[in-house]
Amino acid sequence: MELERREFVKLAAMSAAVGAASSMNAGKACAAPVDPPPAPDRPDIPGVQWDKAPCRFCGVGCHVQVGVKDGKVAAIAGDRQADVNKGLLCVKGYHVGMILYGEDRLTTPMVKRNGKLEPATWDEAIDVVARRIMKSGKKFGMYISGQSTVPEGYAAQKLVKGALANNHIEANARLCMASAVTGFLSTYGVDEPASCYDDLDACDTLIMWGNNPAEMHPVLFSRVVDRIARGEKIEIIDIGTRRTRTTDQADHYLEMRPHGDLAIANCLMQQLIENDTYDKAFVEKHCNFRADQDPRETAEALMDHDAYVAHVAKKGHSGLFGKPITFAQFKKLVSYYTPEKTEQLAGVPAEQLRMLAKVFADPKRRIVSMWCMGMNQHTAGTAVNNLVHGVHLLSGHWGRPGDGPQSLTGQPSACGTVREVGTLAHALPGGRLVAKQPHRAFCEKAWKLPAGHMNPKPGYHTVKMFEQLCTPTDAGGDIDTVWVQVTNPGQSLPNTKKLYKAKADLPDKFLIVSEVYPTASTELADVVLPAAMWVEKNGVYGNSERRTQQWFKMVDPPGDARDDCWQTLAVARRLFELGHPGLRGTDGKWLFTIEDENGDEIEYWKWENYYKINVDKHLFDEYRQFTFMKHKNVAPYDVLVKVRGLRWPVVETADGEFRETRWRFVEGDDVYVEKGRGFQFYHSTSKDDRAQVWFRPHHQPAELPDERHDFMLTTGRVLEHWHTGTMTMRIPQLRRAMPGAYVEMNPDDARERGISNGEVVAITTPRGEMRLPVWTNGRATPQRGHLFIPFFDESAQINDLTLDAIDPFSKQPDYKKSAAKVTRISEFAPPRQGGNP
Amino acid sequence: MTPHGKLTRRDLLVGRFRRAVEHARASNVASTESAQTKAVIQGRQCLAYRNLVCTTCYERCPEAGALVIDSGLPRVAADKCTGCAICRDVCPAPVNAVLMVGAKAEGGVR
Repeated sequence: MELERREFVKLAAMSAAVGAASSMNAGKACAAPVDPPPAPDRPDIPGVQWDKAPCRFCGVGCHVQVGVKDGKVAAIAGDRQADVNKGLLCVKGYHVGMILYGEDRLTTPMVKRNGKLEPATWDEAIDVVARRIMKSGKKFGMYISGQSTVPEGYAAQKLVKGALANNHIEANARLCMASAVTGFLSTYGVDEPASCYDDLDACDTLIMWGNNPAEMHPVLFSRVVDRIARGEKIEIIDIGTRRTRTTDQADHYLEMRPHGDLAIANCLMQQLIENDTYDKAFVEKHCNFRADQDPRETAEALMDHDAYVAHVAKKGHSGLFGKPITFAQFKKLVSYYTPEKTEQLAGVPAEQLRMLAKVFADPKRRIVSMWCMGMNQHTAGTAVNNLVHGVHLLSGHWGRPGDGPQSLTGQPSACGTVREVGTLAHALPGGRLVAKQPHRAFCEKAWKLPAGHMNPKPGYHTVKMFEQLCTPTDAGGDIDTVWVQVTNPGQSLPNTKKLYKAKADLPDKFLIVSEVYPTASTELADVVLPAAMWVEKNGVYGNSERRTQQWFKMVDPPGDARDDCWQTLAVARRLFELGHPGLRGTDGKWLFTIEDENGDEIEYWKWENYYKINVDKHLFDEYRQFTFMKHKNVAPYDVLVKVRGLRWPVVETADGEFRETRWRFVEGDDVYVEKGRGFQFYHSTSKDDRAQVWFRPHHQPAELPDERHDFMLTTGRVLEHWHTGTMTMRIPQLRRAMPGAYVEMNPDDARERGISNGEVVAITTPRGEMRLPVWTNGRATPQRGHLFIPFFDESAQINDLTLDAIDPFSKQPDYKKSAAKVTRISEFAPPRQGGNP
Repeated sequence: MTPHGKLTRRDLLVGRFRRAVEHARASNVASTESAQTKAVIQGRQCLAYRNLVCTTCYERCPEAGALVIDSGLPRVAADKCTGCAICRDVCPAPVNAVLMVGAKAEGGVR
């Protein structure tokens, strides 16, 4: 073991050297008009076999070269052939191979008997799960992940929405991307960014909206830092509530109050219209205007801001797609957001707002707006997404290279598995909806289900699903079983005591958790299924820029751990054997039947046969037929094998090649745009090929500081750790660099209260209390009255304290705004052990 | 010193040792061993030199001013470095970018 470890360190070192060399070359490659001479793709180490895989961590979707020696991942190198990262990796990426080798990997299925988890065989465990699902019926929910692979998501989707005719399937991307989805749908009529990462190589101005890519999307941000280092002039504007490592690189920092982004975006539109600097030609040809209600339905033809807000408050909103309004009405509504008014609402000085409006007023400038959780984890998440798209549309900064809005994802396959496969309670694959009869009919036909089999009623969204799980059955809690895969809701849901941990007191409720390590989620599980992870299984991921990426299994999982996808299919098979009618197709066969060339059924649900065929390829190519309707065409599996991902829509050319699309809705790049149109939003909600510019008013967060709780608490990630730290906290280098949670506080707030750096304080919100050391001179500095606590530390689960308020359209919770109190406790209680600093 | 006033090799070394101890005490350093070593950041291994933001060594250095960040790149101020090696322990680069170097050439690499 010791030898293996030393070997690992040595090999990892060699791969790092390759990473360094390639990052320098990447810079030269961009600056020089010709490609540099080919360099070796990876270090030549005797006995090491190399293959490609996307990184396991964030939504950037870097490719790594994985070196395998004697059946173990022994080295990692940045993949020089990958467009996304050009050979570079971030600190997590360089160590990604070690996520497989934590000492406490789960290797045996466990089933709770007499209140205690005991080892079981796979046959027993699968049987227990299948019988429980049979018994639960419509009270069963499945909760997967933006880290599940596309085939895993598709298999789970087909099982739950297809076979079981039960729409309670959700993914953790609800907590992370749902507001971006509703933002895209209500603006363009179809989900996912039209732009791509190439824009970062061409922009003149980069605007971050509550975004800290220096820590959260490091390789992407390094593309911009790299350009600056080469002497290019790029203006970086950071809009946020705390100074971060990203702010260090910024030319302008606009410090706003929470929900100030709503007012700022409205102000930019007010300025563009007032100064007559909006792009009239673009708006005339390509835009409509929308709002929650149309004032023309009332006696008042043009309502002012306050009258409109009162009107909507009385009438309610009219759904995600709203009502059309006139430009005159739009102008009247946004006219409220003068720089002076916005300064009052957002706390940003009027002159900074005028400066930003001038940036958008310059038609020559190429501007990228980037955002992630700051705008999505927001009780007005859909609204602020609409508004930032609106600023770009109104100013015509849209659809040229380096010019457009860029929504980032946090997870490696939030787009691929959740948004495209539709593993959300209301969705079906390829942008279809459960509520639409023709969409269900398409699925029923494709899945060989009887017509009318599927359920037209959307299932419960994530927060509701876990709320129902944690509500006693006799009090209306009508979810009694949840199967969790590839995510850790016990630590990542908001208000976890209410939404997860309360399950402990409800003996008739049942949790099945497929996991790789013991976590806050497995702690309450009734069945624990040990899972294979990353390159221990085949997989397909889809990143933030519509890039679908494939990899092969390279090493065996430890002990008895098995693929999540196999687990789903084995349960589906067991349900079929137990006689569940939903699993039998109209042809009388099992719904997931795969036949060999002689037409004989392959018994791949038996683990020993699972890798005799490529189940991923069968599932992915079956899924592919769903992607054409909304022009999200993914490439065939065999094409993806050969490339470092392709960005959809991937279209087949006359010579049989497959060509990716960099900019959607843009003539010349997107083949679905008609000639001569320039831009065409061909899935427009108004059926006229136009995008919608929304009016969305500013309003206050769901929870505001008051006398009792006088701070605003924000949560988030840190550079070294991936989400709840289950993988990265088991990598010694990352754990040493960032060993525990802390509370970031403004030094002036600390000084006023006599709190010193490193002192342990009690943080209290209306949901509970936690003790953490204060860090006043740390990686970021919150504004006065604000706190920041990362959520990676399982010994300090901050989501026990966060608010579970959600956006009305996306149902995404707002983790960023909880009222909190800071109390000095050093005098009366022993501090929490360990922690940082 | 010998009674003859002649300096032996042993005396020379002890004398140097003593001077080092005094110097260490004067600059408020805990151990003489650490006084002899300084941290050096090796740019070719350091993540910050790859245009990736990394400031872990700077954040965790207990000595004010011993580690500074210049245009995003960490640098050791040798006169303030106490040689405690915390920066080396926490460096998350795949090949540790912090080298502990002896203050004198013969001290070598620790």
